[in-house]
Amino acid sequence: MISLQSVSKLYNEGRPSETTALSGIDLEIARDALTVFKGPSGSGKTTLLSIIACMARPTSGRIYVDGRMTSGLPESFLAKERRRTFGFVFQRFNLIRGLTVMENVLLPTAPLGGNPQADIDRAAARLDTLGLGPKANVAVEHLSGGEAQRAAIARALINDPPVLIADEPTANLDTELALRFLDIVAGLRAEGRAVIMTSHDARIWGSELVDKVVSMRDGRLDEGTS
Amino acid sequence: MTGWLRRQRALADYTLAALARRRVKNAGLLLIYALVVFIVASATLFSSAIRKEAEIVLAEAPELIIQDLVMGRHAMISGELVEELVGIRGVSGVKGRLWGYFYDRVNGANYTLMVPLDETLVPARGEAIFGEALPRTRGLNWDKAPLFLSRFPGDLFRLNPAGRLESDSALVSADLILIGEEDFRSFFELPEGVYTDIAVSIRNSREIGTIVEKAGRLLPHARLITRDEISRTYQKLFSWREGIMVVLAGACVLAFAVFAAEKASGLSAEETREIGILKAIGWDTGDVIAMKLWEGGLISIGAFLLGTVLAYLHVFAFDAALFASVLKGWSVIYPDFALTPMIDGLQLSALFFLTVLPYTAATIVPIWRAATADPDQVMR
Repeated sequence: MISLQSVSKLYNEGRPSETTALSGIDLEIARDALTVFKGPSGSGKTTLLSIIACMARPTSGRIYVDGRMTSGLPESFLAKERRRTFGFVFQRFNLIRGLTVMENVLLPTAPLGGNPQADIDRAAARLDTLGLGPKANVAVEHLSGGEAQRAAIARALINDPPVLIADEPTANLDTELALRFLDIVAGLRAEGRAVIMTSHDARIWGSELVDKVVSMRDGRLDEGTS
Repeated sequence: MTGWLRRQRALADYTLAALARRRVKNAGLLLIYALVVFIVASATLFSSAIRKEAEIVLAEAPELIIQDLVMGRHAMISGELVEELVGIRGVSGVKGRLWGYFYDRVNGANYTLMVPLDETLVPARGEAIFGEALPRTRGLNWDKAPLFLSRFPGDLFRLNPAGRLESDSALVSADLILIGEEDFRSFFELPEGVYTDIAVSIRNSREIGTIVEKAGRLLPHARLITRDEISRTYQKLFSWREGIMVVLAGACVLAFAVFAAEKASGLSAEETREIGILKAIGWDTGDVIAMKLWEGGLISIGAFLLGTVLAYLHVFAFDAALFASVLKGWSVIYPDFALTPMIDGLQLSALFFLTVLPYTAATIVPIWRAATADPDQVMR
């Protein structure tokens, strides 16, 4: 369970360019659910995802992950939380160019100091599941949009996190690939993972797979969402 | 393998992959860095070795040299003083030395003519033993070829070769011509009973100070030069030349410092974004810094080792071919001898700390700034 209590986020606090990205967010997210944040650009969806995934700190408010308060933790603890709990798929995938698919997928395992061969086997299995096995040794800049997204998903899942977070995962995909992504999400749910994502895409938040849709506007939750 | 070692291996693997991605830039950096180390290491290795060489050669020189001074300038010294100096307790031997310089108009070189103190080395009348550079610079390819010296137009002084000095001592003997006393006095038109200076051998080296004091009282106008002082002069001479080399290398060092400062001033957008991604996928500040330490370490230590090994080969295998003219310092005659390989650990450590540590520090500072920020902030 992820719980947010009165979470606010200001950028450039105290400066003339101060911007309120989030304001007084109270939200409960179930562990095994597919939750989608929807709303127009600038409504605070990505900021909210970043704060949940311990990639940014709230200006005020509290966040609990399985009862552990993550807001206010020092950076080293936040890194552990990111590693242990969350896998993140970025809107532009953020794969590291020049490295192969396999090298990108293995990146989150480097700080763990695990058995290298076991890591490689696990990554290969995950790539096979996502249909990317034959592309394991291809440099990521040579992948198509759908392949890059699946490589990013494989990277997000390599350390077996219970929560997958995806920012606008279908924004750069055509309909066929968007539907394929939903299949992948269905598979992850079947594995017992929670999935939290943002989307403009009605195909996503209108899907039967979605357990909860959170509407946002101007950094606040729309009436009736919590 | 422990988790820590596995983690380091994984970080090193990633670092190698990251370096390979920008291989042209990194190879260029490595080469420039290695060149700077090569120049400075060549100068220090050469100077250390040549100082050591001078020390070894001078170990056989007399403990004390006494020269007469007239108006503050070196003048001939009377042979009568030899008897007076023998009387000083602790002195084991006193000999008048005959040596002088001759400017050879043929090749523009200065030779040192000398009568050897060791009587077994004194050549017969009309013969000479040459330093290794003389036949070389005068083009005397034939072993028996005589050397003709001309003191003034129309004059020719013939010296037949009686042997050559070993190149082991070439540092101080490259320009030397050893001749007998009669030839020397004849060549320089020097009267009997005077010498260039007096060499004093001392039984116990710890008594040098006392003997110098006594000789000074006996010859208040003379200049007394101990072997240690000559050795120190050589050391200073080669240190000075090494300094010139280091100043010459200064331009390279400066260019490198500008580069390092540029690195310190900030990361490229791509590097910053990459750090943000790594942090977002679970790397912590320590992981990012460790990875960058591997990167900086591989480049700086690699360049240091490459530069030092090349400098070692340059100095000891190729006789410092690139810098010999600056470091050896003779105007026309360059001694031709192989230096004994030796490494001054202290100098090498200083070079390591002056090249590797500043570069590593310069690269780590901006990384630390980016790595301690939240991933969201770094990627924005």
